Amino acid sequence: MTQEKTKREVKIFRYDPENPDGGHFDSFVLEIPDEATTTILDVLLRLQREQDPSIAFRFACRVNMCGSCAMVVNGSEALACKTNVSHIPPGEITLRPLNHFPVIRDLVVDMEPFFKKYEEMLPFYEPKEDYSEPALIRPDSQEREDIGLATECIACGCCVSSCTMAHYHAEYAGPAALNRAFTLLADSRDGLFQPRLERALESCYNCRTEFNCTEVCPKDISGTRAIKYIQRLALKHRTPEPEPARVVVPEAPPLLVAALDRRTFLRQLGVGVVGVASALVVGSIATATTVGPTLAKASKQWVPVSALENIKAGDVTTVMMNYETKNRLYTQQFSVPVMVSRTGSDIVCFNSSCTHLGCVVKWEALSGRFHCACHGGNFDREGSVIAGPPPRPLDRYAFKVDSGHLFVEVG
Amino acid sequence: MNNMTIEYRKPLKWGELDPHRRENTRIGMWAWLLQRISALAIVVFLALHIVLTYKLLVQLLLLLTVTFHAALGLRVILLDFNLVNVKYQRALVWGLIALGFVVMLTIWFSIY
Repeated sequence: MTQEKTKREVKIFRYDPENPDGGHFDSFVLEIPDEATTTILDVLLRLQREQDPSIAFRFACRVNMCGSCAMVVNGSEALACKTNVSHIPPGEITLRPLNHFPVIRDLVVDMEPFFKKYEEMLPFYEPKEDYSEPALIRPDSQEREDIGLATECIACGCCVSSCTMAHYHAEYAGPAALNRAFTLLADSRDGLFQPRLERALESCYNCRTEFNCTEVCPKDISGTRAIKYIQRLALKHRTPEPEPARVVVPEAPPLLVAALDRRTFLRQLGVGVVGVASALVVGSIATATTVGPTLAKASKQWVPVSALENIKAGDVTTVMMNYETKNRLYTQQFSVPVMVSRTGSDIVCFNSSCTHLGCVVKWEALSGRFHCACHGGNFDREGSVIAGPPPRPLDRYAFKVDSGHLFVEVG
Repeated sequence: MNNMTIEYRKPLKWGELDPHRRENTRIGMWAWLLQRISALAIVVFLALHIVLTYKLLVQLLLLLTVTFHAALGLRVILLDFNLVNVKYQRALVWGLIALGFVVMLTIWFSIY
């Protein structure tokens, strides 16, 4: 093994309750003989011995069994005794107390909220009936496999610290407590299934499937897996079964229910306002574009149709007319035929929509009629109805002739 | 000190005062966060889609965000109902997004 001496900068979060300042980082430099065999806990012990005896931190077993030395090492929750310096990329090492727990001093946090939540989940085994020992769950059973190593939890608090939802939902029991509930809910001998399930379901939906707890667990337990298991239990156990009172439910600690404080109220209000505002924006745009065109007074415009010389006297000429209309943000393009009837100096411009149901009518020179193919409507040269279902003569456009060019008014 | 009252510092928030916060935001958390952000993007693109009917760029952006959002939603459903083992959660994020885009682009190019 190559032993390389390295110098590492160690930044430690400091908070002094006798001189409260909100917390700051103190920087230390430490020479480490061999990073692969030096744990973060070793670093802390050496710093306390050699440089600053006032650094406060917790530890007990030093072998990943007790969960006392959990802290945030370079942004990620870990046990100080399980993390070697060599696990951390070169550069400074930042040590911070766990998130979501009140800080007592430096790296020491108050775990009281953690164990309160733990207690809410009735974390003890209460047999259904008088089982005779030994345990009835076979090691190769599905049940045992489901529970797996989830019972190995050492309650270090890493998962709750890593869970962003633990901060935003004060009543959320958190991964550790729910994992404990899961190990007992999955146990067929459990006598407190119903009360435990009710408590677990109260808060298990706060999980957002972020997997932070799974990623940081020093025991490789997946809090997410446990929480998903509890959520699925809700599918099978919708109605509480009336349990015969064979087991006396022990006096259970009351559920922590967050009172609606000012901050929570404002946050909920904010979410509500944003929701209503976005609904209004989308709704009004949708309404304006769908209903608007029918309500708005379409602006009239003169559209050029053709040069007058192209329209022969004594005939009906069909010309395509192109124009567009604008309604707020919505632009619509039209390309419709106009039928111009010219007799001498007399000009009539017909709208080509049949007055029956709006099909396009065509001029039939042979019979001298406008004919609608849809339902057999016929109009004479003046646009009057000759036959078929149309209720009124063909509509006419207003028109004008400007410097040898024919314009009609649409809109 | 007059008494034994200790003033605790209020709990640190996740990532508060932490210079290493970014590098330790894990993929599951990005999946959650980006799904929420894409939901907001869908609201915007949906409004644009209604206003600017059949504009190719808006269509594409809307489809992209919907696909992204749906892929991450599918991830949660698969994990919720234990259809995929939670140990594959990281692969699931990339896999579903990739699958979603492949399906979406196949449909896109067969239409346009």
